[in-house]
Amino acid sequence: MEFIQHITLGFGVAATPFNLLLSFVGVFLGTVIGVLPGIGPMTGIALLIPVTFGMPPASAIILMAGIYYGAMYGGSTTSILVNTPGESSSVVTCIDGHKMAKAGRAGPALAAAAIGSFVAGTFATIMLMLFGPLVAKLALRFGPPEFFSLMLLGMTVVTSLAGRSMVKALFATLMGLAIAMVGIDLQSGVQRFTFGNIQFMDGIEFLVVAIGLFALTEVLINLSELKTAGKVEMESIKGGLWLTKEDWKRFWPSSIRGTLSGFFVGGVAGAGAAVASFVSYGIEKRFSKHRKELGEGAIEGVTGPESANNAAAGGSLIYLLCLGIPGSGTTAIMLGALLMLGLQPGPLLFTTQPAFVWGLIASMYIGNIMLLVLNLPLVGMWVKLLKVPSYLLTLFILMFSFLGVYTMNNSVQDLLLMTLFGLIGYGMKRADIPASPVILGMVLGKMMEERFRQAMVISDGSLGIFVTRPISLGLLVIAVLAITNPYWKYVIQGVKKLFGNGGGATPAAAA
Amino acid sequence: MNKSVFVLVALVLAFGIVASAAAAPAYPSKPLEIVAPSGAGGGWDAIARTLNVTLEKEKLYTQPMSVINKVGGGGAVGLAYIFQKTGDDYETVVYSPPLIINTINKTFSQNFKELTPLAKLITDYQVFLVKADSPYKTLADLLAAVKKDPQAIKFAGGSSPGSMDHLAFCKVAKAAGIDPAKLVYVAFSGGGEAMTTLLGGNVSFVSTGTGEAKGQIQAGTVCALAITSAVRLTGDLKDIPTVKEQGLDVTYEVWRGVFGTPGMSKPAKDWWAKTLKTMVGTPTWKEMLTKQSWADAYANGDDFAKFLDNEYKSYQELMVNLGFAK
Repeated sequence: MEFIQHITLGFGVAATPFNLLLSFVGVFLGTVIGVLPGIGPMTGIALLIPVTFGMPPASAIILMAGIYYGAMYGGSTTSILVNTPGESSSVVTCIDGHKMAKAGRAGPALAAAAIGSFVAGTFATIMLMLFGPLVAKLALRFGPPEFFSLMLLGMTVVTSLAGRSMVKALFATLMGLAIAMVGIDLQSGVQRFTFGNIQFMDGIEFLVVAIGLFALTEVLINLSELKTAGKVEMESIKGGLWLTKEDWKRFWPSSIRGTLSGFFVGGVAGAGAAVASFVSYGIEKRFSKHRKELGEGAIEGVTGPESANNAAAGGSLIYLLCLGIPGSGTTAIMLGALLMLGLQPGPLLFTTQPAFVWGLIASMYIGNIMLLVLNLPLVGMWVKLLKVPSYLLTLFILMFSFLGVYTMNNSVQDLLLMTLFGLIGYGMKRADIPASPVILGMVLGKMMEERFRQAMVISDGSLGIFVTRPISLGLLVIAVLAITNPYWKYVIQGVKKLFGNGGGATPAAAA
Repeated sequence: MNKSVFVLVALVLAFGIVASAAAAPAYPSKPLEIVAPSGAGGGWDAIARTLNVTLEKEKLYTQPMSVINKVGGGGAVGLAYIFQKTGDDYETVVYSPPLIINTINKTFSQNFKELTPLAKLITDYQVFLVKADSPYKTLADLLAAVKKDPQAIKFAGGSSPGSMDHLAFCKVAKAAGIDPAKLVYVAFSGGGEAMTTLLGGNVSFVSTGTGEAKGQIQAGTVCALAITSAVRLTGDLKDIPTVKEQGLDVTYEVWRGVFGTPGMSKPAKDWWAKTLKTMVGTPTWKEMLTKQSWADAYANGDDFAKFLDNEYKSYQELMVNLGFAK
């Protein structure tokens, strides 16, 4: 009964004309962002945050979530037709998708990607609906120590944002922590790193950093590659869009495998959408009936990864809403945005803001259906977008960046800071240092410090508070397991070796 | 003929000059800016916008008017801006107790006493909340427990130590003979967060504004032990006993008022005194107050100035005691 009430409440929020419009704008822009190779969902959401000022929080999240999962749909289009991934999570789709297009089966490939995304998106939404309230039941037992341990667990996500070098990712995280330090300290009221500048007293705005590091960096990268960018070669869509009977038969198993693996690997385990799509491709290569055709234009190579990246996007939204932990770079940006709207994502959200949470869930059902319509019959339109010259796109991003940051506080200092972060972001990109850990460090670091010190006041300075409270202890254990994850296999190998050599003789004695 | 034209022109000119000379002191003749030292959506922004809407709707200020947000430094950016405009009769700013608090702790480098107080407009009060199943049923219970072991009773609020949530209870504790420096305060970044910490049983009580507390009080999850108003409120919060009726002569107001620039001219000051007095009696203003559940606390410029002097002394004493005065 409660369940039906929630859903009714949700659709009541999501189906208002304004929110329907926002949902549409969100998935529409999301698809555009997904199709265009130069710009990703992180940039898109960062740029749109200023637009959401003054909107009710539910409307704001409906818009942002629409962009997030919309981009997952759009990313596949360029992979299939141009062999250039629109998003990092669509890289693997190029392999078989583009081969299919070359073989004149672009239509079924696009359809498989869109329907696979739909299946996964719907699955993730249902999981959010079922899982969220369970977590919410624990909500009031989350005091400062539990939140601290939760944030610490969130920090371990950095291992999945790291890319190639863990050291570089940690450097970026520390940079984020340092930025979060600026301003008046909550527990003592003392100014830190403000250098007597009154505008620094409230800290450095998250949006200034986010737009600088993502949007402006994107602009600079585009500009520096303007001359070398070649002409886009595109496969045309021949024949029908619909899947044949044989296609359908091969579609379901791979889509279901992709959805489940994407949801758990990319969402719940926090590995992110890109990793999820690679894992799914690996699974197809091992378990699919048609595994021999993979790499030569098999439909499984499209449905699996495309289902996986959508399920991962939904999964990381669950993390964000139920626990307040961003499972990906994009959700880290969204967390910052929600905080700016005065919402604190976490176990309490389901109880304190039911209209917000259920409105979002309902909008995701609606949005996924909109996306299916947008991406199947209208796919030809998106392809034309690729003909927009990149200097025009760059100008638009530039304009929105400056406008957005200025409208926030009417502060010129913010504009200068944003420009500075744009340059830093460019340098980081050139040095192959990932930018999303900066956001992670900045958003989580600030809360983590606050929670830590609140817990310290409550416990009269005893660190024991983190291990004597069961939820906190549990979270800490999971965090330790998450960090040590890459090393287990060595331990297991070691143990096996030990027993393998067994029979009482030590290796030394055997030698 | 030439002569008559000349006379005519001279007359017209003379009339024009006289007319414009007469018009010059007629305040207001230019657009007005109301500075809100916080971002859109904050408390200062709300009062600035209400002021703007009422003056416009009741046709009290006939020139164009706008609210501008000068965000940052707990109001420091707005104050710096207003001081730059010294002597400008078309700049006003809204403030509340942090104006005094941040002057005493030297967050502000200017002295607020140089501003021209135009009127105190509204006020809000602090409430002290415990969980519904708390062993403390009255303020006296709570204070007795604090007296016995100040370390054991932790209280939370939605802002840094040394700001309103913290100071309000310190003032009460001090009156009850407890050294406020011994109290243990946990700072959260918002009344809502402080409240959930209370509900989770992590702190003993919470000090917060009535606006943030209302929902939980009505839901029955928390119990308000005392409110810092001089007499009980009417309406939804009428059942909360005041600190005063529980035997301590303490009130704590979260007032909001409007100020002119330092050195505002006499005609402008007089015009505002008259206009604001009229404004607080208009139906629009009254409707706005009910809508936002604000209590009317109108005091004219002179009374407001005296009130501010007393507030300053009271805060100064409390903050020296706590070590926040610099």
